[in-house]
Amino acid sequence: MQSVARRLSSTASRRGFATTSAAFQAAPLEKPVLNKTFKIYRWNPDEPAKKPELQSYTIDLNQTGPMILDALIKIKNEMDPTLTFRRSCREGICGSCAMNIEGRNTLACLCRIDRNPAKESKIYPLPHMYIVKDLVPDLTYFYKQYKSIEPYLQNDNPPPQGEFLQSPEDRKKLDGMYECILCACCSTSCPSYWWNQDEYLGPATLMQAYRWLADSRDAAGAKRREKLQNEMSVFRCHTIFNCSRTCPKGLNPAAAIAKIKLELSAE
Amino acid sequence: MSSSLILRSSLPRSVQRAARTPAAFQAVRHQSDVYVPGGPVYRGTVNDPTTYPEPNRSHGGYHWAFERILSAGLVPLTAASFATSGTNYPILDGILGVTLVMHSHIGFDALIVDYVHKRKFPKLSPLLSWTLRASTVGVLVGVYQFNTNDVGLTELIARTWTA
Repeated sequence: MQSVARRLSSTASRRGFATTSAAFQAAPLEKPVLNKTFKIYRWNPDEPAKKPELQSYTIDLNQTGPMILDALIKIKNEMDPTLTFRRSCREGICGSCAMNIEGRNTLACLCRIDRNPAKESKIYPLPHMYIVKDLVPDLTYFYKQYKSIEPYLQNDNPPPQGEFLQSPEDRKKLDGMYECILCACCSTSCPSYWWNQDEYLGPATLMQAYRWLADSRDAAGAKRREKLQNEMSVFRCHTIFNCSRTCPKGLNPAAAIAKIKLELSAE
Repeated sequence: MSSSLILRSSLPRSVQRAARTPAAFQAVRHQSDVYVPGGPVYRGTVNDPTTYPEPNRSHGGYHWAFERILSAGLVPLTAASFATSGTNYPILDGILGVTLVMHSHIGFDALIVDYVHKRKFPKLSPLLSWTLRASTVGVLVGVYQFNTNDVGLTELIARTWTA
């Protein structure tokens, strides 16, 4: 027993990683430094009189992950802990990190860093929203509007037993709408939403409104449509298509709004 | 200093409290239905849904359908007027004139609703709306006069084109 233990320890002393001389180890890959400047919108509510400004941060892209969110996290961790932004899942399913990156509303976690070091990347919060701090917009009104369309199944006649059943064709009508993560990229890219945010519902909320209008299991369609029959809620959409162009999930809110308009005018 | 102290001690508590409340806060609380630039004004708590205007189909679906049918109708109308002569077909000429004016009226009206809405511009918006209505009526009368007493719309464009 003792001899086995001694043999083991002697093996470890001969073959252990810690004792391998540097000459036998693979040299770590030396990546060249690739510095890139990010210009990030800063505004601090503690100094409300101070104007918002763009602050520059230069980081080495070869020591950073591939996405804009990786750069933001690196800046916050290593350079400036006061930089404020929302993030959660880092894989495009939570919708927290929606922001305006190089002039386009998108999710920071799904947006690759342009690796051209000569070009600065500009990062702003979602346009035309009230700002809480830095890259964090106030989405309270957006959520209030979402709540106003009653985004849940309404049917007073449930089947006698089991669940509501739906044909595969009817289920297919919901594809391309149920995937929406409510990141507000589309609504805040819409000029009509910029000018009339308090009355016009905006593409994200309207697509969810149609998601429930199109659901074969929902029985409140007439009530839902009646609510939208006015000048402001739907018909401020002028088919600009910014919403469909900017959607980071590749959905098409403009098509949903067009279908709502058709249903409202065919009634 | 002393006068304000006397005032403070002699005034009832409730009046003092009202005087201390910031003016901005009072404005938000009492006129929560008024559009205020420079800050979000939430009606109710953050958990209450937003409200909708009164349902009105003539402002909703019917308006949109009428506008689209009018726009679509203008395409064959314009082609027909181009193919025929305005002096021989005065009815077609008249329909084209009226449709064009209605189409422009709806377009300008959309501008007012989008950019100069009543809730933001309580005085300017009605003024613009009535100016637009008056001009539309004026232009309609003008088109009627021009088509009955003069060469008519299509003929005018045809002559200007070849002039």
